[in-house]
Amino acid sequence: MSNLFSSAGLRLTAAAIVVINGFFPAVWILLTSLKSELELFQKPITYLPHNPTIVNYVKAFSEQPLLLFIKNSFIVASLSTLLTLVISAFAAYAIARLNLKRKQLILTIIIASSMFPLITLLVPIFETMRAAGLLNSYVALILPYTVLSLPVCTLVLVSFFQSIPKDLENAAMIDGCTRLGALWRVVVPLAAPGVFTAGILAFVNAWDEFLLALSLNANAQMRTLPVGITLYQGEYTFPWPIISAALIIAIVPVAILIALFQERVVSGLTSGGLKG
Amino acid sequence: MLSRITNPSEKTLAFFLLAPAFLLIGCIVVYPIGRLIFNSFHDIRLSGGTGVKFVGLENYLILIKDREFWNAAWNTLLITLITVPGGLLAGLGLAMLANLPFKRKWPVRLALLLPWALPLAFAGLIFAWFFHSEFGFVNDLWLRAGGAQREMWLSKPNTAFAAICFAIIWKSSSFVALILLAGLQMIPSSLYEAARVDGASRWQQFTKITLPLLVPSIVVAMIFRTITALQTFDIPYTMTKGGPGNATETLAMLIHKNTIDYLDVGYGSTLAMGMFGLSIILTYVYLRRMSAEDHVNE
Repeated sequence: MSNLFSSAGLRLTAAAIVVINGFFPAVWILLTSLKSELELFQKPITYLPHNPTIVNYVKAFSEQPLLLFIKNSFIVASLSTLLTLVISAFAAYAIARLNLKRKQLILTIIIASSMFPLITLLVPIFETMRAAGLLNSYVALILPYTVLSLPVCTLVLVSFFQSIPKDLENAAMIDGCTRLGALWRVVVPLAAPGVFTAGILAFVNAWDEFLLALSLNANAQMRTLPVGITLYQGEYTFPWPIISAALIIAIVPVAILIALFQERVVSGLTSGGLKG
Repeated sequence: MLSRITNPSEKTLAFFLLAPAFLLIGCIVVYPIGRLIFNSFHDIRLSGGTGVKFVGLENYLILIKDREFWNAAWNTLLITLITVPGGLLAGLGLAMLANLPFKRKWPVRLALLLPWALPLAFAGLIFAWFFHSEFGFVNDLWLRAGGAQREMWLSKPNTAFAAICFAIIWKSSSFVALILLAGLQMIPSSLYEAARVDGASRWQQFTKITLPLLVPSIVVAMIFRTITALQTFDIPYTMTKGGPGNATETLAMLIHKNTIDYLDVGYGSTLAMGMFGLSIILTYVYLRRMSAEDHVNE
């Protein structure tokens, strides 16, 4: 393979194809968000905005409660991430470290729980949440999102715990640490990178989820970002420039997060690749 | 007493560490599945307050005759059969390109991560804008390429379906590429060097070294893509709402409509059971295929 692309020019072409494929939709939305309504509804359409304007960004906040959607998404995503991390770290430690029979079976059950289509679980979850009066609450989303990320986080953390030498823990226990003391002082600090990787995956999963958020939290006050922005459309019109501005605002935080921690995200995804 | 708490035996510790995960799976996965099966044999309409009435197989008999169900099941199957191989091919291409020895790796890596991190609902919105009948980018290209007039891509059954498949393939190919890229990077370069010494062509290197060694990664990517493709909801919902008519309605959308919009939990559950059926049939075909290929390889 290497000869075909041995020259720098061809390598650049290959990189350009991948980069354009990945960035083009976001770039197009960015350009749309900078156009005035007048310019947007010109034929033929323009590519680059003639008179870039930020009026759509102001409108994105004023015409819909975008800040509220961001707040809802943030609360749901961070709390479910926290819960996922605690639960999956517990389970992963037990699987990786303790003398258990049927370790493989336990791990398989946890992974298999993600194989059931979410949409089939939606019906009874909706029914139960409705009966419990939990529709339009943060809890309604946090619990299912925790299950959604539990398998991938457990997988990532099991491989991380396994990479920490058991001798370190034993040494701490010989030095007088209790078992939980050794866990807290030795294993937790060393596992921090793995926990962080799992955390990013769980956060992105929750930040992106649409079906449950649409079904369980339809109330305008409780909408998350994907649901809120999708419902920007009026009865008869799609305000595309404003939607584009809102999309950019919604994409940027996650884009920065994954740009900063790309290597971790890639390693986490490929060791527990469970999301498409 | 304190030492029993801070120094628990392995068994007690294991129990308390695993309990939260299993409690959660019990509440959010196992109980709902039991409930789903129960519901499918009952008449439950949350709108009327008529309560829960046992109806035996009635829901299933309705399902078998329900044209909307078969239409949605067919659409879902078609989306799976088109976008799983399509996303795999596109992802393989992206992974091969991204595996070249670049000086700076981050732009290419970020370009693969960005579509993965983009919510499906946003991808649907963006592609709906691309395929807009008046001011869309696709229509601009179409006119430049010699198209006679702007097309209403999302208002015609076939083009709407194709546009949705295109959006799904774009969205999923970068995830596939990330998985395959990790597989590519594990192939030792010494294999290619040895092949070159033996005079193998580039195509032979690809078919005799790259592809066979990539099979485990391809299988992982295919399995997860198939599971997600069967659940397709976000992209058609945001691009066409299932239209025109119900030409692009998937099973997930039909279940959502019956349960959330019509509050018909009994029939919604039966539809969900139908989806289980489809997943099981597909898994069976997969396993048959895969074991057949194993025999061929032997």
